[in-house]
Amino acid sequence: MQPDGTPPILELRNFSHTYLEGTPRASEAVRDVSFRIQRGERVGIVGATQSGKSTVVDSFAHLLRLKPGQVFYEGEDVAAPRHDRGRLRREVGIVFQQPDSQIIEDVVGADVAFGPTAAGLSAPETRSRVEESLNTLGLPYPDYRLRYVHALSGGQRRRVAIAGVLAMHTPVLVLDEPMAGLDPRGRRELLELLIKLQRDRELTLIVCSTSLTDASLLCDRFIVIDRGTVVMDGPVREVLREADRLAELDITLPEPVVGAREMQKLFPEFPTELLTEEELESELLKRLGAA
Amino acid sequence: MLELQRNVIFGQFVETGSFIHRMDARVKIAITCLFIVALFLIDSFVGFAVVFPLLIVVGIVSRIPIGFVLRGSQIFLAFLVFILFFQVLFYPADVPESGYLWRWGILSVSTTGLFTAGILGLRVICLYYVTTMLMLTTSLVDLTNGLELIFGPLQRLKIPVNELVLVFVIAIKFVPIFIEEMERLARAQTARGVPFDEGGAIKRARRIGRLLVPIFISGFARADTLTIAMNTRSYRGGRYRTKFRQMSAKLSDWLVLVLVTAWLIAAWLA
Repeated sequence: MQPDGTPPILELRNFSHTYLEGTPRASEAVRDVSFRIQRGERVGIVGATQSGKSTVVDSFAHLLRLKPGQVFYEGEDVAAPRHDRGRLRREVGIVFQQPDSQIIEDVVGADVAFGPTAAGLSAPETRSRVEESLNTLGLPYPDYRLRYVHALSGGQRRRVAIAGVLAMHTPVLVLDEPMAGLDPRGRRELLELLIKLQRDRELTLIVCSTSLTDASLLCDRFIVIDRGTVVMDGPVREVLREADRLAELDITLPEPVVGAREMQKLFPEFPTELLTEEELESELLKRLGAA
Repeated sequence: MLELQRNVIFGQFVETGSFIHRMDARVKIAITCLFIVALFLIDSFVGFAVVFPLLIVVGIVSRIPIGFVLRGSQIFLAFLVFILFFQVLFYPADVPESGYLWRWGILSVSTTGLFTAGILGLRVICLYYVTTMLMLTTSLVDLTNGLELIFGPLQRLKIPVNELVLVFVIAIKFVPIFIEEMERLARAQTARGVPFDEGGAIKRARRIGRLLVPIFISGFARADTLTIAMNTRSYRGGRYRTKFRQMSAKLSDWLVLVLVTAWLIAAWLA
């Protein structure tokens, strides 16, 4: 509960999931994962590959066979028999790791319009949402509206996939490895866009990644998952303070943190909870001045 | 739809370390072929009654839970029932007048029709079961090697055995990969508001249509990648390839072969 008594927007309580449970090919993905995400939070879910991040993401929109009493949206059990799955999926927007899998229509405009249309919006409203989303993602509406999706580049298809989810105006936006396969410029643009979107629309933003590089600039809080369980959960700087442990978990550290770990060879007390190169520089200058 | 792999197990391999898993792949393939021949020869319910216990023994020895096999075959079984239904209705009319139970125009239900459909149904179920068991208990590598060794002599007749076996095995083993792919697509599309897990059978079937284009595209992409991967590793079929894994049939393998052959002959003569 928040101080004003509203329940957290998303909550997992001892969430466990085994794929193909009860068959000889059963494989346990996550075990006893619990956390709460409040409205408007910016959370990074971090872990090495196979750690269970994607399973956690899929649970948010009830895309798995869930057991009751484990996943809650706005305080309601999403696995309860009468829970409205359609509404849940209109409120929790997910951009998957492979953008191709979630592109439904062949033409860019039609694909972005898919969600709003399915949600029952009028044609003019759908159109304005498509225009807004495509423009936001740097795919000018008049140029891209009629383009054939499969003829676009990987980075462009990722943007189309994101536009398709943005057009739904979901209060929760979940991105699974959003930066994978993007060049440095694409990453920077997407990062800026996400920060702006989150601020303007008061989104609850959840980013999944094996790397803290972009997530540390985008999120306020990290939940670190290792082999299906939560091993750390706290504000970004607090988590970065334990840089050695993160490195042991095969998580890619942000460059300032990598630099800080090198500096620890010279200055054992050098802090690792640094977000930008400027912070690294000022810490270094402080120490050099003292020496 | 969210866990389609439960409902379609064709082509999957499940390691349980059982006696059947450890058998020589060539013997397993030979036994499967014997089964296929025998199942086409057997033409009576008594014959199938004799084969049935053998299939149960295979199931128990393999240590693969029968519930898993049945649940994984339900789509196939539903399809079979659908086909047999029409087989009975449109059975050709060379039936004596007394054999009809019901008749309306070209549609009819006759005792001969029911009998033929029954035998056909049993035959297809047994064939499906035997081949599924072969795949559930034999890894991709063993299956390929076994088939190549069995059909190896045909290379002298300039038949490209390696290539044919490779295509066959890839075709079979791509089924589970495609099922997984479909699952992933269905999940991603569900997230965007196509409710694959809701609605009646017809609505669900129509939604599957939306998966076909992306499945085809990813299928071609996958085949392309596989070709490049094989080329970069200098794959080349043909009789001069040597094997890293040498197969050797044990005495127990031969005993099983003899036993199964005897059993199947008994079923045929019954």
